[in-house]
Amino acid sequence: MLIAIRDLHRIYQVGTEEVHALNGVDLDIATNEYVAIMGPSGSGKSTLMNLLGCLDTPTSGSYRLKDHEIGSMSDDELARIRNQEIGFVFQTFNLLARADAIHNVELPLVYAGVKHEERRKRAREALELVGLGDRMKHKPNELSGGQRQRVAIARALVNRPSIILADEPTGNLDTTTGEEIMSAFERIWQQGNTVIVVTHEPDIAQHANRVVRMRDGKIESDTVNERRAARTGHA
Amino acid sequence: MNLRESTGIALTAIRANKLRSFLTLLGTIIGVASVIAVISFVEGLNRFVADKLIDAGSNVFVVDKYGFITSNEAWEQAQKRPDITPEDADALRAGVQHAKMVVAHSSTVERIHYRAKHVDGVNVRGDGPGYEVIADYTIAEGRHLGELDDQHRQLACVLGPEVADDLFPGADPIGKQIRIGEQTYRVVGVTKAKGKMLGQSQDRFAVIPIRTFQKYKAERGSIEINIKTLDQAALPVAIQEARNILRGRRHIAPGKPDNFGITTADTWLEFYRTLTGGIFVVMIGVASIALVVGGIVIMNIMLVSVTERTREIGVRKALGARRRDILTQFLVEATTLSLAGGLIGILLGVGLALIVGAISPLPAGVNGFAIVLGIAMSSLVGIFFGSYPAFLAAKLDPIEALRYE
Repeated sequence: MLIAIRDLHRIYQVGTEEVHALNGVDLDIATNEYVAIMGPSGSGKSTLMNLLGCLDTPTSGSYRLKDHEIGSMSDDELARIRNQEIGFVFQTFNLLARADAIHNVELPLVYAGVKHEERRKRAREALELVGLGDRMKHKPNELSGGQRQRVAIARALVNRPSIILADEPTGNLDTTTGEEIMSAFERIWQQGNTVIVVTHEPDIAQHANRVVRMRDGKIESDTVNERRAARTGHA
Repeated sequence: MNLRESTGIALTAIRANKLRSFLTLLGTIIGVASVIAVISFVEGLNRFVADKLIDAGSNVFVVDKYGFITSNEAWEQAQKRPDITPEDADALRAGVQHAKMVVAHSSTVERIHYRAKHVDGVNVRGDGPGYEVIADYTIAEGRHLGELDDQHRQLACVLGPEVADDLFPGADPIGKQIRIGEQTYRVVGVTKAKGKMLGQSQDRFAVIPIRTFQKYKAERGSIEINIKTLDQAALPVAIQEARNILRGRRHIAPGKPDNFGITTADTWLEFYRTLTGGIFVVMIGVASIALVVGGIVIMNIMLVSVTERTREIGVRKALGARRRDILTQFLVEATTLSLAGGLIGILLGVGLALIVGAISPLPAGVNGFAIVLGIAMSSLVGIFFGSYPAFLAAKLDPIEALRYE
C-alpha cells in the first residue's frame, strides 16, 4: 500500500481551546489511484491534505507513506519526503514570479541536488509533457492562468514523486480552462501516477475514480465513482 | 542546494530591487570607503615619516627655545624663555665632546630681487658652518658658506636651484649681486636639486651665514642648534652634555626645569604615533558606526524581504527546501548585498585616496591589506546582520507560509 493511515488525529491549540481537526481517520490509497477528497470547509480536508503532503505531522495515529512513518520525522526529513515523494499543485499556482517557467519547474530538482544539465533536461521534458515546450523562457506574468497551472503541474511531476497532490487546482480558473487542467491530470494518472485532488466542487471530484468525503474531522464516505469507473474501465 | 544557486537567487533578488538595494548599501559603502581611505592615508604617512626620519638621521638632536610643545599654555610659558643665540652654538661646539657637528640655524620667508626680477616666498636660511651636512645640500656650482663667512658676517649666499633658475635663467649665477631685504648679497654657490617632498619644493631657498642673519634679521631672535653626534650610541650622552652646558650658561639651579628644548627624531616619532593612532581610532570608530548602521539597514531590508517572500519560502519548503537551504539562501543574499556595498566602498575609498594623493601633498598608499579588510568587514556585516532574518525565514512553518497573503 502506498499510503496507509490509521486512527489519525490532529489537534490544534487555538488560544485555550483545542480544535480536533482530524478525529480518527483511516485511509488506504494504492499506487495509481485517482482519489478526490471532498468536504465542506471545516471538515478537516485541508488538514488531511497537509498531513498527506507531509507539511504537517499528526498529533497521534500513524501515517505510513511507502513504509516511512511520517509522524516521527524531523523537519528536514519531512522536507526530503516532500521533495522525493510529493508533487504539489496549488490553487494559486504558487510559481516564483521572478523565475521563468523552466526555472520554476527545476526547483524541486535544485533541492534534490540534481546537477544543472540533468535538471534542465528533465524540466524541459516535464514542460513538454504538459504542452508548454514553447513557453519555457516565459515568466509567470507572461502566461495565462491555465498555462501557469500547467507549469505548476510540470513542477509537481519533474522529480517523479509517488503522489501528485492537488489542492483545488481549478479554483482560480474558468470552467473551460479547468477542464483542460483536469484532462492533464487524467493523462498523468493514465501514465501510472497516483493523483489525489482536494476539492469542494463535485464536478471536479467526478474526474476521480474514488471519492472520499470528509465531515467533522472524520471520513463520512469512501466510494468508488461508478460513472467514471464504468467509463474508463479503472476502479 | 549549493552556493552558486544561492548566489544566483540573491543576485536576482538584488536586481529586482535595484534602488532599494543601493540605498540599503549606503551605510556599508560609506563605512568600507572610509576605512580604506584612512588606512591608505595612514599607510602613506607612515611611509613618508619613515623616509623622512631615515633622512634626518637618528643621531641628530635639536636644541631650541621651545622644544616640543603641544599646548597653548606651554607655548606661552616658553615665550618667556631666553633666546638661543649663536654664542650658545659656539659654546656647544666647544663643549659637547660627543658631537661631530654643531650647526646653528634660523629661517624666515622673504622676497629676493635681482635687478628687475624677483622671486617670492623664498625660505631664507641663516645657517652656521656645516649646514650642508645637516640639511643634506650638495653644491652644484661655486662653494658652500664656511666658517669665515660666518665670523665676518659676510653678505654672501648659496641659492637653491629653483631660485637660481628663476633669477638667472641661462646665466651663471656665481658672483651676481642679489637683494634680500635691505642688504645686497653675493651669490657664492648653487646647490643640486632635491625635488619635492609632501608637495613642497626643497629647492626654493637661500642660505646666508647665521651671524649675518642674526645681524640683519633681528626679529628672528632665537635660533635652533642642530647637533649631529658621532654615532647613535652617543646621542644620549651628547644630549646630557648639551643640557649641562646650557644649564651652566643660564645658571639654572639643580632641580629646576630646563628653560630650553631638546628634541630628537624619537620625540617626533612618538608624537606621530600618538597622532596617527588617534586619527586611526577616531576613523575606525566612525567607520564602525557606519558599518553597524549599514548592518542594521541590511537586517531591516532582509526582514522586509523575508516578509514579502513568505509565500515563496512556503513554496520552496513544500518543494523540498530544508531549513538550512532557506537559511543559506537568505544569508547568501544578505552577504551578497553587503559584499556588493563593500566592493563599491573599496573602489570609492581607493579612488578617494588616489585623488587626494594626486591633488594634495598628502601621500596615500593603497595596500592589499586594506582591501582584504574591506571585503572581510562587509562579509561579516552581511553574515552577522543577515543571520536573524535568515533564521526567521528558515523556521517559518510551511503551511502558514503558503497561506500567507
